[in-house]
Order: sequence, then structure tokens, then C-alpha cells
Amino acid sequence: MSMLMKEEVKKRIVELAKKVGEDIEKGDFPKILYPPNSKTNIRFLEERGYIFNPQNFSKIIGDRVKSLRTLAGVLYGFSRSLDHLENGLTMTKRDFYYMHKIEKFKGTLFPREQRETDARIVLMELILSMPREAFSITSDPRGWIYGDIELVDRSGRRIRADQVGEMGYSVPPRPENIEFKRIGVKAVIAVEKVGPAKNMIELNIPEDERIGIAILQGQASRSMRRFLRMLSDEGVPIAILTDLSPWSLRIAATVIYNSINSAHIDGLAVPDAKFIGIMTEDVDVGFFKDYRFALEPLTPMDYKAAEDNRFLPNLQGEIWQRENEWFLKNKLKAELEIFKAMSPSAKELRELYVEYLRIKLDEHLGIGIHSS
Amino acid sequence: MSVLEPKLSEISAADFFYRNRSLAGFDNPVRATYTVIRELVENSLDAAEERNVPPKIMISLSFLRDRKTGGNLYRIIVRDNGVGLGSEEIPKAFGRVFVSSKYRLIQSRGTFGLGGTMALLYGQITTHRPFRVISARARSTITEVMMKIDIKKNEPVVLEKKNLGTANNPFTVVESYFEGDYGKARRKIVDYLRQTAIVTPYADIIFLDPDGVLYFFPRSTDEMPPRPKEALYHPKGVDLELLHRLLQRSRANTLKGFLKTNFQRVGDKTAAEVLKLARLPENLNPRKLGDEEIRALYYAIRSYDRFIAPDYTVLSPLSERLFEEGIKKELQPDFVRAVQRPPSVYGGHPFIVETAIAYGGRIRPTGEIQLYRFANRIPLLYDAASDVSYHVVKNINWSLYGIKSLEEEPIALFFHIASTKIPFKTVGKEFIANVPEVAHEVEAGFRACARELKLYLSKVRRRALIAKKAFLFRKFYEIIAENIAELTGSRPSVEILLERAFKDVMSGDVDVDEGGSEEKDS
Repeated sequence: MSMLMKEEVKKRIVELAKKVGEDIEKGDFPKILYPPNSKTNIRFLEERGYIFNPQNFSKIIGDRVKSLRTLAGVLYGFSRSLDHLENGLTMTKRDFYYMHKIEKFKGTLFPREQRETDARIVLMELILSMPREAFSITSDPRGWIYGDIELVDRSGRRIRADQVGEMGYSVPPRPENIEFKRIGVKAVIAVEKVGPAKNMIELNIPEDERIGIAILQGQASRSMRRFLRMLSDEGVPIAILTDLSPWSLRIAATVIYNSINSAHIDGLAVPDAKFIGIMTEDVDVGFFKDYRFALEPLTPMDYKAAEDNRFLPNLQGEIWQRENEWFLKNKLKAELEIFKAMSPSAKELRELYVEYLRIKLDEHLGIGIHSS
Repeated sequence: MSVLEPKLSEISAADFFYRNRSLAGFDNPVRATYTVIRELVENSLDAAEERNVPPKIMISLSFLRDRKTGGNLYRIIVRDNGVGLGSEEIPKAFGRVFVSSKYRLIQSRGTFGLGGTMALLYGQITTHRPFRVISARARSTITEVMMKIDIKKNEPVVLEKKNLGTANNPFTVVESYFEGDYGKARRKIVDYLRQTAIVTPYADIIFLDPDGVLYFFPRSTDEMPPRPKEALYHPKGVDLELLHRLLQRSRANTLKGFLKTNFQRVGDKTAAEVLKLARLPENLNPRKLGDEEIRALYYAIRSYDRFIAPDYTVLSPLSERLFEEGIKKELQPDFVRAVQRPPSVYGGHPFIVETAIAYGGRIRPTGEIQLYRFANRIPLLYDAASDVSYHVVKNINWSLYGIKSLEEEPIALFFHIASTKIPFKTVGKEFIANVPEVAHEVEAGFRACARELKLYLSKVRRRALIAKKAFLFRKFYEIIAENIAELTGSRPSVEILLERAFKDVMSGDVDVDEGGSEEKDS
């Protein structure tokens, strides 16, 4: 699979370079056609998330300085990518940026800021119809999975995700090649914040309740989303547990539906994942109803985010909008740390977590825990 | 009822100057140092131009500590190749302060019409030393005179007179001592001389300063502007007092005759109409008019509107060619354009405005508007921001002419006004009042220069853009070819394509877009 993929990437890049070279030899301005990730090319389906459906195509033509710069940048980017790919080396976006900060590129490809080269990476993805990881540009890894899951990754080693350190297995930048050997969890709970997720692990909840904990550490990285989707494809129910805030709605929705920015990359949405909390009803009438005093006020930035949420395509569902309106009305938010406000004692904290998860997993995924 | 008459005593013109020297630019040692040089230089320029030869002026300023007073004593020596003076003329020319009451009209240079005498008087006042003049007319005796001015009597006092032989060419040397401050005046003086060199490109000016630095502004041309002609006053250009004086010294026997002989372009018909308007008989004796009648005549002249426009031949503008020559000589700009406006008139005074714009070369952006102002070929150095030309320049939208900022670009503006009466706003005579007629000419002049500048700039900028674009095309196609070689193993030849691209660029088929800007590719 990996070798095939590598050959395919190489084939596409070389074909592209050949075509440009032929145009130049003929004395024609070279031209590259690609589907831009503009609104007209992206659709949203509730059951599948964002879908890239190219209807319109753009051209990069080497007949003026501006587009010539893009063209030169793309070819340089691809030649570096292939060089890295063939030598088993990866680069980050920052590396890619620095690969343009070269003396001889002054006045030509030398970037003013990283945004320029980041944008070019997206363009390269669109031109090749492949994610950047395929041509050796990877992000810094972010996100862990803890629990009774056995897998083999690119290192070739067999790994059990609850036996590789206190945070579990660090999801690699290119999870594509991971092969699951055995899955012993009933569900995986993707937790927004590191602190509460670590507490759950420290309180032995994954072992006792046979669940996996995925630590998102904020907005889920591309590799984490891909990894969750792969688990989901293996039949593992995925639950998403976040703060109750305008930002957290986006985090949850991005896991479920993917985002506009990466809409052109397949396999990042996890449509079967379920958002389980914290929800507004938990605060109004549910689990936290007696702890409203522990809520935090919305900052102006939070409020602005809630206003913007009204218009995000992936938050147009009735439930999302209902949740979001609550922020605008109450100007409050709840954080996962609220469990600590309910009980500062470790034993009680464990019971509170388990009780909350029991209710939520049952309600949203139909999964029963706490059988012991 | 008796009123106590205030005690009035007559004072001489020299005494008047002594008491009011700040009016004439001698208010402090710094300003005085500048004014002394300026007055003597202008005197010399006039003297040489009167002889119709390119002026050659040498100025030497040296510092001597006054042993008695401990003051800052300077010695100035100015030598010129002007008409020169005979033995008898020297005391008259330098030994008396004239309050000029001119009955004829001619464009002259001296700011205050008093010439170098003021400078010498200032020296005498501050040092109590005599001054020395050595001069000769062409092929005549050289006379050296050591003299003073009797301030109370306004008369020359000759202390010593020597015959130094015979000169072929005329010249004048003036040597005087004064108390000053060169250190603080240096910049102003050098600016003044450089600007004088701009507006007098046919003059050699050499200045040896007290620090031993030699400033040399060589002439770049022998061509001189034509000498201004003398002319009678235009009726609209006289005030009540001047009219009074003209009447008193008139040699005509009738009022009608007075009008015809004392004013330019007044004939039988016009004189008759003016007198009819004034309700005065044509045959009155002009020297015997009463106050009432003088006023009647004055107001009739004021309200009469069919005088022929003033004679412009009395004016001596620099000419577009010489103005450009002077600017080129001192600033070596990449572009210069001077424009002479047609003659115009304000309040009976004829004037001609000349403007110029220079760009690039030795002109560097300074963060300020670089505006050089000249009146009757004298640089004006103070109060630029109050000048009519400054207001005009500020109100022009320069972006129309391809200039984003006058302050931040290498651009200099020049304005010269030639007139029989420069409309100075204050006694300091450093800036021109905002007279609408003048403002209009200045604006039209600058706009005409600016249109030429715009053509020049767009040509230059387009050329630069095309060159930049050609350069970038080659650079980018080289990067592309290099990377294609790396990816496919064969490097495409870019020459055919580049040739085609350049042809498109040159023929204007392809827009010249800015190079290197960020692509919109996300």
C-alpha cells in the first residue's frame, strides 16, 4: 500500500513536470489545471460532512509574474517533496517555509511569511488530489490514544495503546499505514482537554470500563481525525466530550464533519461519531444543574465565536444551533474541569466521571458501562 | 485750547537705519552675518550685470577676536568685476544711506534698495572701525578710500585716499569689519550662495569661509538674461504719496501734460477721460494742486478701468533655459523642466512667474517639501511655509502627476517671481503674500511642469517595470526549468518562450503587473 502510494505520487508529480516542460519547449506559456477549494466546489451533507465535489477548475498560467511565481513555487515544492519521499524523510510546514528562505530565492520565491508557503501546500494537495502527508509534508503530531487497542504502525512494532506511557500512544502524523490487530474497547471517548482526560486515565476508568480515551488537546489534528475515522471504520463507536463553549461546538463538529479548509482531503470526517457533552441540558436540567455557580462568563471573543457559529455550514443542524443560541442568551460556558468543582475528593471524582459517562454513552451510543 | 506739540527732531536716513536695524535683517549677530554677505553679494551681482559681463564674485570672511571687547570680530572682503567707481564716486556710493524715492520704474535686485551701504554701516556701528573700498572703472585710475559714515549727518567721512595706478578692467573691492556669528549662520550662507548660483548660472561665486573651507560655484554658461528696461510708472501702480511727489517735481505745465509724460501708455484720450472723471480742468498747473484736488485725481485713476495693461518689458525674468541650466548645474537632476508664465499684473504692478520642477540626481528626499523661492533673482530663505508658492504646492494633488509624496521623493520645486514691486507680505521681505493673481500663475506654472514630470516618470517607471518583469520572467523560468530537470531528468529550453514573453511585454500586449506579490492560491 505504502509503496504503491509512493509510486502513484511520484507518477503524478513527474507527469505534471513533463507537461510543463513540454509547453515550455514548444514556446507556450505552461498551464496547470486544478480544482480550487472554493465554496462552489464544496458541499455539505449532514450524514457525510464536507464533501469535495469539483465543478470548477482554475488555471495557473506562466504568462505573468504573479502566476509564474506560483508555478515556480509549485514545481520547486514538488521537487523537494519527491526528494524527501525518496529518501524517507518528512518535513513540517515550517520546514517547507524554511526551504524557501534560500539566498538564491531572494526577489523570487523567498517568502514574506509562512502563510505564503502554507497556502502553496494546500495548492499542491489540490493539484495532486492527495493529502500533503502523501508527499511527505506532515504536521507535528498532536493527540494520544489510551486504551486496550493493539496496532502495528510504520515502525513495524506491535503496540498496545494502554502500555506505552501514561498518556497512551501518540498518534503519528501519517496514521494511514496503521493496522489494528485487536480492539478491546467498547467505545473511544475523544476528550478535548488534556487535564480531565489524564484524570480519567489516572483513575483507571479505561481499564475498569473497557473504554478508550483519545486526547485531542484542543482542535483535533488532521492525523487524529484520520485515526478516529479509521477506528470508526473498524466499528468502534466514537464519542466526543468537550467543554460547553462556542469553540467546543466547532471542535466536535470538525471531528464529525471535517472542516472547509481540509474539505478536499478524504477520510477526515467521522460521521458516526457522537457529540455527548457537555451539553446545555446538562447545565440547565441535567447532571450539572446544581452547579451553575461553577460556570464561567463568556469572553468577548467567545461571544463573537458564538455569533459566527450561526453561519458555519457544519453547525446548521437543529441541535447545534440550539446549543449555540444558549451561549448568546446566557453568555456563560462550562468547562470539563467542572467535575473538580463538584468534588475535590479523588474517590468521588471517579464516581462522578463514571456516572456521567454511563448516562451519556447510554443516551447517545446505546452502550452500557459500569457493569462491575 | 492749546495742545502741546510733541517735540519732533529730524533724523537722517543713516540714523533711522541705526535705530531700526532689525527691520533690515540685522537683528542679531547670526542673521547679521548672513545679511552682510547677502547685501554685498547682491550689490556686486548688480554691478556686474550693469556692465553686461558674467559676474565673478569673490568673498572672503575671516575671524579675528577683538582684543578690546572680546567680541566676535569678522573681516569681510568682497571683490567683483562690476562697473567700478571713479575716485569721486566712491564716497558718494558708499558713504550715504539713500532712502530711495524712485521716479522711474526698473526691476532691481537689492532687497531693500539700499545695497551694501547698510552692511558697511552695520560694521561701523558694531566695531567703530572704518571700511575700505578699492575700485576702478575700465582703463582708469584705481582709487583706495578708507572711510566712515557720519550717521547724524548721513555724510561720508573720507579718512584716507590713495591712487594705486591704472586698471584695465573695472572692479570693486570692499573690506569691512563687523561683529557676527558665522558658526550658526554658516548653513544659511552656504544655502544662500548655492541658491544664488542656481538662479544666476552665469556667475562665478567663490567663498572662502573663516574655517578655511572654499566654496566654489562655477558658472556653466555665459548667456545672461537681457537687462531690464527702465519705464514710466503705470497709473495703477502708484499710491497717493508717490502721486504727490510726481506732481511736485513735474515739468509739465498742464495736468493733462503731466499725465501723458509721467505715466506709461497714457495718451490724449486717456488723460482727458481721467481728468473728466476727476472733475479737474486739463490745464491746471500740476505743481499747484491742493490736497483735495490731488485726492480727486488719485481716486479718478483708481476707478478708471480702461488703462492699457502695464509694460512688461521692464521685467527681467530668468528664462526657462537659464533656470533649467542653474538647476542642472547645482543639483544634476535626472529630470528638470522650467516654465515661464505669460506676464500678468496685480494692483498695477506687472510680474512674471517662472516655475521649475527637478527630480532625481543629487536631489534626495528630506522628509520635507523642497521648495526654492526666488524674487527678482534673489533667493528667499526664511518663512517658506508662509509663502504663496508653499500654499499652492500644498493644495496641488501631486498623485495626479505620479508623485505619492513630495516629502519622501527626490523632487525639488522652484519658483521665481520677477516684478517691479514684489508683493512681500512683511518688512522682513522673506515671503510672498498670497495675492490671487500671483497664486494663479504659480499654480498654472507648477502644473505645467508637473505634466512634463508625469510623462517622464511614467516613461521611466514603465521602463523599470518592464526590465523588472523581464528579469523576473527569466528568474522564474530558470527555477522552473531547474526543477523540471530534477523531476524528469531533462531540462527544457526556456529561450523560445522568454523571447515570446518579452515581445508581448514590449508591445504592451501583456499587462506590466507588479512582481513578487503574494499569490492568491489557498
